Amino acid sequence: MGRAILSLLGQRLVQAGLVAWVVGSLTYLLTRALPGDMSFRIAAGRYGYEQVNAEAAAAVQQELGLDQSPLAAYLQWLMDLASFDLGRSLVSGETVVQELSHQLGHSLSLALTAVVMALVLGLPLGLASGLRPGRWLDRVSLALALGLRSLPPFVVGIALVVLFSLTLHWLPAAGHGSLSHLWLPSLALGLGLAAVSSRVARNAMADVAGSDYYAFSRLKGLTGWQTLRRHGLRNLSVPVVAFLGVQLVYLIEGVVVIESLFAWPGIGHALVHAVVARDVPMIQGTALVLGLGFVLLNTLVDIATLLLDPRRRLA
Amino acid sequence: MSTMMTVKELCVTTAGDAPEVLLEPISFALKAGEPLTLIGQTGSGKSLLAQALMGNLPGSLEVSGEVWVDQQDVLSLPLSERRRWWGRRLAMLPQEPWSALDPIMAIGEQIGEGHRLVGGLTTVEAEQATRRDLAHLGLEDSYARLPMQMSGGMAQRAAFAAARTGNAPIVIADEPTKGLDRGRRDEVVALLREALGSHGALLTITHDFEVARQLGGKVMILRKGRCLEQGDADSVLSQPTSGYGRELMEAQPERWPEATAAPTDPQRKQAAIERSAPTLSCTPPPGAVLSASALGKSRGGRVLFKDLNLAFRRGDIVGVSGPSGSGKSSLGDVLLGLVAPDEGELWRDPSVQPSRFLKLYQDPPAAFAPYWTMGTLIDDVCRLHRLDSARIAPMLERLGLAPALLDRRPGEMSGGELQRFSILRALLLDPVFLFADEPTSRLDPVTQRETVALLVELAKERDCALLLVSHDEALVTKSCDRIVSL
Amino acid sequence: MKTLTRQGPMTPLLALRRRLPASRMLGLCLLVGLMLFGWGVPLLGGADPYAQDLMHTLEAPGALHPLGTDHLGRSLLARTAEAVRLSLGLAFLSVASAVTIGLVLGVAAGWRRGWGDRLLGALADCVLALPGLLLVLMLAAIAPGSFWTLYLGISLVLWVEVFRLVRSVTQGLMASPQVQASRLLGFGRVYLFRRHLWPALRPQVMTLAAFGAATAILAVSSLGFVSIGLRPPTAELGLMMTELFPYYQEAPWALAQPVLALFLMVLGFILLAGEEPK
Repeated sequence: MGRAILSLLGQRLVQAGLVAWVVGSLTYLLTRALPGDMSFRIAAGRYGYEQVNAEAAAAVQQELGLDQSPLAAYLQWLMDLASFDLGRSLVSGETVVQELSHQLGHSLSLALTAVVMALVLGLPLGLASGLRPGRWLDRVSLALALGLRSLPPFVVGIALVVLFSLTLHWLPAAGHGSLSHLWLPSLALGLGLAAVSSRVARNAMADVAGSDYYAFSRLKGLTGWQTLRRHGLRNLSVPVVAFLGVQLVYLIEGVVVIESLFAWPGIGHALVHAVVARDVPMIQGTALVLGLGFVLLNTLVDIATLLLDPRRRLA
Repeated sequence: MSTMMTVKELCVTTAGDAPEVLLEPISFALKAGEPLTLIGQTGSGKSLLAQALMGNLPGSLEVSGEVWVDQQDVLSLPLSERRRWWGRRLAMLPQEPWSALDPIMAIGEQIGEGHRLVGGLTTVEAEQATRRDLAHLGLEDSYARLPMQMSGGMAQRAAFAAARTGNAPIVIADEPTKGLDRGRRDEVVALLREALGSHGALLTITHDFEVARQLGGKVMILRKGRCLEQGDADSVLSQPTSGYGRELMEAQPERWPEATAAPTDPQRKQAAIERSAPTLSCTPPPGAVLSASALGKSRGGRVLFKDLNLAFRRGDIVGVSGPSGSGKSSLGDVLLGLVAPDEGELWRDPSVQPSRFLKLYQDPPAAFAPYWTMGTLIDDVCRLHRLDSARIAPMLERLGLAPALLDRRPGEMSGGELQRFSILRALLLDPVFLFADEPTSRLDPVTQRETVALLVELAKERDCALLLVSHDEALVTKSCDRIVSL
Repeated sequence: MKTLTRQGPMTPLLALRRRLPASRMLGLCLLVGLMLFGWGVPLLGGADPYAQDLMHTLEAPGALHPLGTDHLGRSLLARTAEAVRLSLGLAFLSVASAVTIGLVLGVAAGWRRGWGDRLLGALADCVLALPGLLLVLMLAAIAPGSFWTLYLGISLVLWVEVFRLVRSVTQGLMASPQVQASRLLGFGRVYLFRRHLWPALRPQVMTLAAFGAATAILAVSSLGFVSIGLRPPTAELGLMMTELFPYYQEAPWALAQPVLALFLMVLGFILLAGEEPK
């Protein structure tokens, strides 16, 4: 058990390193791709167009390392990253770490609510469909899931805004601060997740219920409920949790888009803003946090599968 | 002897407007202390019978007739009522223990839950009872093991304990020895006999004559859902009256005639057994096409074979036998150059094309690309080696294969037909050495006998050396001139 | 099967109909319909998707503009067709590149293990370390508004999945008795690929390709929606939604068009893909 966890943590640590390297390298390329007058534009963005002068532009140039040789600048860039020096936002002038610490909480609350909604909506529906595959509930939930999967989260978000804010006036369309603001964005994100997880749970339930060991448990004399509890739920939780890992991609990608749609002040929103404003340090910081969050969540999923599935601990 | 179960005109058909009869009406009585064994080939409706008796046939099938237990007709009871009998009055042993056991639950737990939830013991008592069961079965160390950590024989014994926690007096065992080698099979049969005791009833369904013989009691022979004959095990098994019963009996390797060229005198045969013959010189013996000297191979730290000297001349029929995991298949793969030996030397007649050293596989469907018709695959071989395709027709006839089979894909024919096509495909290339790796272990006994006989005959006819590997010692003893035991 | 072949040669469509189950056929029909729409509308000689007419903004569908006009008075028929063409074109292009590269490298890596296999595996891990959209987004940030950056980013994300699938299937098959038997019989690489590998890979790769196309379309529209992808005045579905969303109250049918087009496209590919990818 201990060895399995250690090797898993090792692998994920390597992945975290890769994330940092890929994000660092891409943002470095970004600094080099900035057009010549970029430092002026960034300086203008920071200090206002009246105050901009050669001095301010030079300061920006230095901050981005635009005056060094490409290789030296690249190494410097990665060294800063390795020592957790993410620099300052070119737009607000605050340190990137400070900005991120404000945004992270918002993103987490959105993502967590979405996941809880997905599980609450998706799992029971999936299990009920999987116990009676081919019946009407299964068919209806399949059609729903297919429809929801064909819509990106932002379209679901638009539909929710149109319905609940613009038509029914029940919930605010955008903004943050109160619980009522959290409903629509997390639902927009959660519905798509629920669609996928209901099908995963459905397939897992159907597989388990059709397995030889499930039938054998009944033949041993256990009741239907005892069999479901002792052999059904345990076995189906293994693929369901493993698939959570795959859904994390959807979650992270969804956070970026949904936060932008609802002006939710999280990491994803900040990333999009930073890209539009060419705020390179912020792009690096936000992408890094999203990437590392992805790795961290994957690690948690891995550990959960390891705990659920004793076969993994042997391998 | 009291009657535990009476079956009258039990019949299984498909549901729907045009029902197809899968199991023809069958009647028998199961008595306390006297085992009843049903023998028949795969697809003869045997497994449907077990499910029909338990009352867990799939909904797409319909069952009629009567099954009386304790003055009640099981079939007339609603499903929920029948389920309450499971484990308590009727126990069923699974066919495939590995898949019948929960893959992620410890063995002890799986037996203990039955003691607790079905047998009504407390948690502590249940654990004690489980440990007693395991100790009795020689599985003391297996309490915390997962099914994947056990061998087939161990898993079958554990599943046996799990099925019997409710102390059901009537036990139905459906192919309980499937896939087990001889030693493990005998252990399971002993367990079945013990479970029967003097008050229980036992119905065993098998294709293995030897299982029926060891169990004793009564025997019924089934074919295509019909009962051909029944009676005492001793008389039916030694002198079956139905043609099919005789065929089945004759298909037991023990009863095969000796290979014609083999030394008939048992002592001479013994002398022909090679274990570690005196070291051969490095030069191959005259007339050999393949020879090996001081061959050795280990796997997972275990020595499979060592200092093995072998030479094959054309027309040699050499058998290899030994329990599973003893390295029989590895020996063949090493000789064919598919696996590198750890030590020793291998020599092949350099004047013979490499494609004339060939192999037949254990699982016939796995040896063909499944997407193409047999005709296409055979044509491919002819085209590659520029062979005359007119040779195919007479070979089909010789192997008893209908030409229409050429239009089918490998998945669309029986294992016996496929294995004969593997033989045909190999013979097209005029092989000088053929390694047959358990070529008949997935075939039923009658087909097995035909296939092995044909293979040996053809190898001699075409002057090809044959290395026949089987876990069944009787099979290789009867068919081969020389034997290597590992 | 037999009876039909005897009735003479089947038309290709009929042959396809026999191979694909109804839902996949429906997906195929949806996609063919969308392709006809995307490439057919300009052939019929409609309006220029970029021609503004500020006198006729947000007009309801009518004789002159069959699908109405947007907030700048541009023909929505022309713009939606252009956007569908763009999404499908980009999807086809990136999927074709990803499948070709993934297939070639996957077979090469799975055929024979070694340093090449390990190197490619490490490269795949690098790409998979980040969620795909994040990678495409960062590439899009380097060269904003470029079609070719999007193409590159999406292909980069998609080839990895094909590569990993093909590698594992190839590895399994190369160790299987069927391939061993063919090798003993003297068959070479081309034969092994044609008779053993490709038939096993084809259905799985096709499923993956269809899902990949859906992923590509979703990625492009997502980036367009957050104004990081293609730039105005390009007609792109996500971008059109951003532009038309403020006018939802006045012209709901205008917003509905890119939404419906996107939905049908993705649904078509998901249906065509058939079962879930493993």
